[in-house]
Amino acid sequence: MPVDNMRERSAIEPVAAFSMSHPAVPALYMALTLGLTMFSMQPVLIALSLAGGLAYGFATRGAARTLSALRWQLPVILIISLVNPLFSASGSTEVFRIGMRAVYLESMVYGLCMGGLFVASVLWFEAAASMLEYDKVLALLGNAAPVLALMISMCMRLIPQFLRRGRTVLAVQDAIDVPGRAPADPVRSRLRASSVLMGWGMEDSLERADAMRSRGWGAAARRTTYARYRLGRADVAALVGLALFGAAAVAVAWAATTQYSFYPQLSVPAPWPGYIVYAAWMVLPCVLHAIDEKRFG
Amino acid sequence: MTRLNSCSVTGGACGSDVPAIEVRGLSFTYPGAEAPVLDGLDWSVPQGAFALLVGGTGSGKSTLLSLLKPEISPTGECAGELRVLGESVAGMDVRASAERVGYVFQDPENQIVCESVWHEMAFGLENLGMPRDEIRRRVAETSYFFGLEDWLHRDTDTLSGGRKQLLSLAAVLALRPRVLLLDEPTSQLDLVAEKNFLHALFRVNRELGCTVVVATHQPRPMLEYATCAYRIEDGRVCEVADIASLGHREGLFSGEVPGWGASRRAKNGVFNSVSGQLGSLDPRAGAPGAKKGLKSDKSGEFEAQILSQDDLGVPSRAGGRRILPKMHAGSAATLSEGWFRYDRVSGWVLRGLDVTFSAGAVHAIVGGNGCGKSTMLSVLAKTAKLQRGRMVRGAASAALLPQNPKALLVAETVHDELMEWASTCGYDEAAAQEQTARLGLAGLETRHPYDLSGGQRQLLALAKLLLIGPELLLLDEPTKGLDLASRRIIAHALRDHAKAGGTVIMATHDLDFAEQVADDIAMMFDGEIACMEPPADFFADNVFYRA
Repeated sequence: MPVDNMRERSAIEPVAAFSMSHPAVPALYMALTLGLTMFSMQPVLIALSLAGGLAYGFATRGAARTLSALRWQLPVILIISLVNPLFSASGSTEVFRIGMRAVYLESMVYGLCMGGLFVASVLWFEAAASMLEYDKVLALLGNAAPVLALMISMCMRLIPQFLRRGRTVLAVQDAIDVPGRAPADPVRSRLRASSVLMGWGMEDSLERADAMRSRGWGAAARRTTYARYRLGRADVAALVGLALFGAAAVAVAWAATTQYSFYPQLSVPAPWPGYIVYAAWMVLPCVLHAIDEKRFG
Repeated sequence: MTRLNSCSVTGGACGSDVPAIEVRGLSFTYPGAEAPVLDGLDWSVPQGAFALLVGGTGSGKSTLLSLLKPEISPTGECAGELRVLGESVAGMDVRASAERVGYVFQDPENQIVCESVWHEMAFGLENLGMPRDEIRRRVAETSYFFGLEDWLHRDTDTLSGGRKQLLSLAAVLALRPRVLLLDEPTSQLDLVAEKNFLHALFRVNRELGCTVVVATHQPRPMLEYATCAYRIEDGRVCEVADIASLGHREGLFSGEVPGWGASRRAKNGVFNSVSGQLGSLDPRAGAPGAKKGLKSDKSGEFEAQILSQDDLGVPSRAGGRRILPKMHAGSAATLSEGWFRYDRVSGWVLRGLDVTFSAGAVHAIVGGNGCGKSTMLSVLAKTAKLQRGRMVRGAASAALLPQNPKALLVAETVHDELMEWASTCGYDEAAAQEQTARLGLAGLETRHPYDLSGGQRQLLALAKLLLIGPELLLLDEPTKGLDLASRRIIAHALRDHAKAGGTVIMATHDLDFAEQVADDIAMMFDGEIACMEPPADFFADNVFYRA
C-alpha cells in the first residue's frame, strides 16, 4: 500500500494496565508473573494464573479476540493431556489400557496442567506485549545499551519500508504484461526482487549514513537515549509495593508447589488463604484496568 | 524559541558583519576525473540570508554544499578556504559542525533514521550526549515551532513524503544550527507539500534568523522567499542580480509557447474578457507574455543535440483536439463503477470511479496526495483488483513505471539493465541501442545504474519499459525531481509513444509538464475523477489549481 494512501488512523487503543507508570513498573510485574506462571506446577496456581491471563485478555483485547485465540489454545491443552500419558506411564490410578500400555489418571492430570501452564504463559506474554510497548522497552534498555537501543529503533524503521518496497518491486514485475511472454516463475521473480531490494537498500544506506553523520553521529563518547519516562515518587512506591506483594506471591507459590505431588497419587489441594494472595496478584492488572475504565467513564 | 543568532548558542565569532558562508579560491576534483568540478570558486553569503543556489545537474551544487560539512564531504582533491560564520570548516569536529551547520538532504525516505517522530527529533541530540531533560525541552520547543505535536507519536514510516521532509527539517533544527544547507529539499514533494515546506523554511529564516541556502534546479516556487540567488556554472559561483528572472517557465517542446493559448481564447471568449477585469484570478493572466523569449542558451543547445527533427517533437495542436479521430479507434482502458480499498478497516480509496482512457493519447491524472492516483494505476496494471465494478483493458500489453526507478533496476551496468528482458520480450541489441540514443543515455552503457544521476536513472527505467513495447504505458510521477533536460526527453518520448498509437496514462504533480505533454488532464479527488478536460479547458476553468 502506498504510504500516502494510508489513512491516518487515530490511536484509539485499549489502555493497558500500568500505562501511566514508568516502564520499570510493568516490567517488574511481568517478570514476576511470567516467572510464577512458568515455575508453579500446581493445579490451583495454574488455574488462577490462567484465569488472570484470560481476564486481562477479555478486558483489554475484547471478548471476540480472546475467545478466538481459545480456539487453538483449548485443543493444545487437550492434546498435551492426552499425549503425556503415552510418554510417562506413571501414576497409580489406571483409567484404561492401550494394548500393553496403561494410561493413568495422574499422568493425564499432569498433562492437563502442562497444557494449562503453556496457555497461561502465552496469555501473559501477550499481556506483556500490550503493557510494554516497544518504546518502553527502549527506555528500559536505553541507559544500559544506547547503541543497541538505536539499532532496534532503526530496524523498526527499516523493516516496514523494506516490505513496502518489496511489494512495489513485485508489483512492477507483475505489471509487465506482454503477450507471448511466459508468466514469471515465482521463485525466480522473488530472487530478482530480493536482488533489486539489496541494491536499493545499500544505495540508500550511503545517504542515510551521511544524514546520521551530519547530525552528529559519533560526536559524543557516549550517546544518551531519550525516553519520555521519568521515575517519579509514585513509581518508586509502586515498585516497592509490587516487590513486597510479589515476594508474598512467590512464597505462596513455593509453599504450594513443594507440598503438591502428582505421582504416585494426586494430592488434593486443601482450601488455603495463601491462594487468595496468589489470585490477587494474578488479577491485579485486570483490577487496575477496571479502575482506569471507571475513571474515564 | 529564541533567535538563533544570539552568540551564546554556538559561540565563535558572530558579529553580524561576518558572512555566514565565505569561500575563497575553492577548487575540487573528484578522484579519477580529469576536470575539476569546482574551479577557483569564490562565494560569500551574508548572515540571515535566504539564498538560492541554482545550476543544472552535475554543476557541483551538492558538492559545494557538502564541502561545508566536513563529515560528509566527498573524497577528492580540495584546495581553497571555506569559512562558516568566520570559523574555518577544516577545523570543525563532528560536534561543532552538527551544532553550527544543518544539512537537509533531497530524499525524505533516506534521511530518517528512527522509527517514531519524537525519537527522530531526539536523534541528533542523543548523538551529542545531551542530558534527557535538555532533549525533552528541545523536542518540545521544536515540535511547537513546526506544529508537529499532533503526529509526535506516529511511526515515521507511515508519514507522507511532505511530512517526512518537514520532520527532517525539524530534526536538524533541534540542534539549533545557525546556517542551514538544503540540497533539493522539495524535489520529491507534491505542490502542496512543497509550499508547506517552503513556508516552514521561510519562518526558520525570518523568525529564527537562521541563514538558509537552498540548492535547486527549480527555483520558481522559492523566489518569493529568497533574498539573494547565486548561479553555479563552470565551477564558479556568480550572483544573480535579478532574482525574478529565475521564475520563467521553460517550454518542453523547443522552448516555444505551446499552442494552447490561442484555442482557449477562441473557445472561452466571454470568460476571458471577464477574467481580464479580475486580473489576478485568471489562471492564465499574462502567461503567454511570460512565456515569450524564454529560450535560454541551454535549451538551444539541447535542441541541437536531441531535437534535430523539429516536426517530430512539436505536437501540432492548432487544430484543437488532435486525438479526436483516434478516439473512435477504441479505449485503451475503461473503469466503470470501480471501488477499491486496501483492507477492511481502511477507507475506500477508489469510490465509484468511472473513466475511459482513449487509445493513442497521453492522459495526465493530477490531484493531491492520497487521492487514489497510484491506486488507480495499480488497478490499471492489474496488480490490484477492484472489489466492485469493472476494469476493461483494451490495450494488449502494458507496463508500469513506478515512482522510484530503483524498483526496476537490477543489473550491474546500463547495458545489462536494458537487455534484461531481451529474450523474454523479444527485442535485440540494436533496438536497445536505438532506445539509448533516443533517451539521451548514449555513452553511459558501461556505467552502473546507481552511478547515474536521478534524471538519467529515470530515463533508464523508462527506456527499459519502452523496449518491451507496451501498448499501454502507466507512469507514476515520471518527472519527480528531474531537471529540465530530462523532462524534455521524457516529454518527447511520451508524445512519440502516443503518436505511434500507444497510450500513456501518467499520475503527476507536475502541472507544467501535464499542460504541455498531455492530451487531456483528469483531476482526481476523493477516489473519483472530478473532471477530465484538454489542458486548455482544464487550466482555463481552474482558479486555484494551475501550473
